[in-house]
Amino acid sequence: MKHYGALAARAIRNIIRQPTAIIPALLFPLMFQTMTAAAMGNSTRLRGFPAVDSFVQFSFATTIIQGAIFGSTAAGSALAADIEGGFFERLLSSPVRRTAIIVGQVSGAALLGFFMTWFFYGVTAMFGLEAESGLQGVLAVSLVIALLAAGMGGVMCSFALWTGSREAVEGSFPMFFVLIFMSSAFFPRNLMEGWFKSVTSINPISHLIEGVRAQIIGPFDAGAMTRALAVAAAAFVLGVGLSLLALRKRLAG
Amino acid sequence: MTAAFAIAGRSIRLIPRLASTFIPSLVMPVILTVAFSGALSSLVNLPMFPATKSIDWFIPMTTTMGGAFAGVTTGLGVARDFESGFYDRFLLSPIPRTSLIAGGALAAAMRSLIPISLMLLVANIGQANFKGGAFTVVPLIAAAMGFSVVASLWSMAIALKFRTVQAAPLMTTAVFLSVFLSTAQMPLHLLSGWIHTVAKFNPVTKILALARQGFLGEVTWEGSWPGLLALTGLLSLTLLLASLAMMGLSRR
Repeated sequence: MKHYGALAARAIRNIIRQPTAIIPALLFPLMFQTMTAAAMGNSTRLRGFPAVDSFVQFSFATTIIQGAIFGSTAAGSALAADIEGGFFERLLSSPVRRTAIIVGQVSGAALLGFFMTWFFYGVTAMFGLEAESGLQGVLAVSLVIALLAAGMGGVMCSFALWTGSREAVEGSFPMFFVLIFMSSAFFPRNLMEGWFKSVTSINPISHLIEGVRAQIIGPFDAGAMTRALAVAAAAFVLGVGLSLLALRKRLAG
Repeated sequence: MTAAFAIAGRSIRLIPRLASTFIPSLVMPVILTVAFSGALSSLVNLPMFPATKSIDWFIPMTTTMGGAFAGVTTGLGVARDFESGFYDRFLLSPIPRTSLIAGGALAAAMRSLIPISLMLLVANIGQANFKGGAFTVVPLIAAAMGFSVVASLWSMAIALKFRTVQAAPLMTTAVFLSVFLSTAQMPLHLLSGWIHTVAKFNPVTKILALARQGFLGEVTWEGSWPGLLALTGLLSLTLLLASLAMMGLSRR
């Protein structure tokens, strides 16, 4: 347990010491939300658009999920930097438990995801955002986001372990960007049509965003929350599984 | 002029050699077209929305953006040449400094033809309305190619100032912001608040209107000159910035 704690604390210290790695993850989603909400404000008048106070309230879920995915790149990037800088080799030659290397980075990503949710909520609340499910709803959302961030952090760690390159990890971000764009992140699914609606319906990101969004635009919805939690849990299992597999492969190589 | 063409030729030859740096300028506009046209297809039901299909509204914007990103790649090339020391060799050679800027701008204009062609193919696949007939593509190419040169001059100014690839976010963010703070997503009359004011005075709004003309109706001179004027203004401004950065480099 001592090893896990020490490496998790190191990952968190790295985030605090290198704010340049997470500042884009904090600023980019907020900037995008500001522009989209301002431009799309009148679209809430469309028949069938969910009842919302503003487009900001509708798009808040997208902002935090974008931030969590963006922020989790930092975990993979840090691990790749350890590999490039030789620290990873030193860890391997020490009696540290191998899985602690992954757990440390994933814990850092989870904590970052949790605090990012509150940061985004705090900033947007200053501009009038109100979560209809109250602070308990935001707390539940932040726990789901922490789980998602841990999973995405795991996926990024697996990229780091497979490639050993920070550039490759950072270059993988657009792949997740596409997943967000091909979902109901920016518009309700019921107002879409044709093949795009079918794609967004099978995209798990849509169900995650809709589950989180339901807590922001309405009272606490256990069903929607369970769906969001299921997607986040699947991302966690996938991310940690992939990273452990990649670790095993790197150790064998 | 020969030197400018030689520099532009080198930049074009670098496309297949450094494909990974050019591919995003092709992929990004396609993804944005699919995402915006698909997700925001209901926007056409808003009162007085000028397009009947969402692709007619979004494809000129994404084509213009694709052109701009192709332009940014020339600035990135300059920054990369600085890091490898190759640009210093250019500076030591008897090539006129103006040719270095003109070569980059010329390369951007030629590079932009690749995303423009690709986006015209996407427009055909997506069954966009070419309401202006064969003339639909003329203002679209003028807008995308012109904005590509603007983006290349801007990114070259940044590259000459900072002399590192790490300044890339500054190049791309400016392009991204200038487009998204215009009528990229919604027509001006459907924007309200601060973004309405910003979009109204943003020259990119006029450039997008130029690009969209043939997709929304007939191509006319009345509909074209404001966009051409905005392009001329931006070209003059970014050319000045690039020239000042080059002069700063000479004083180094």
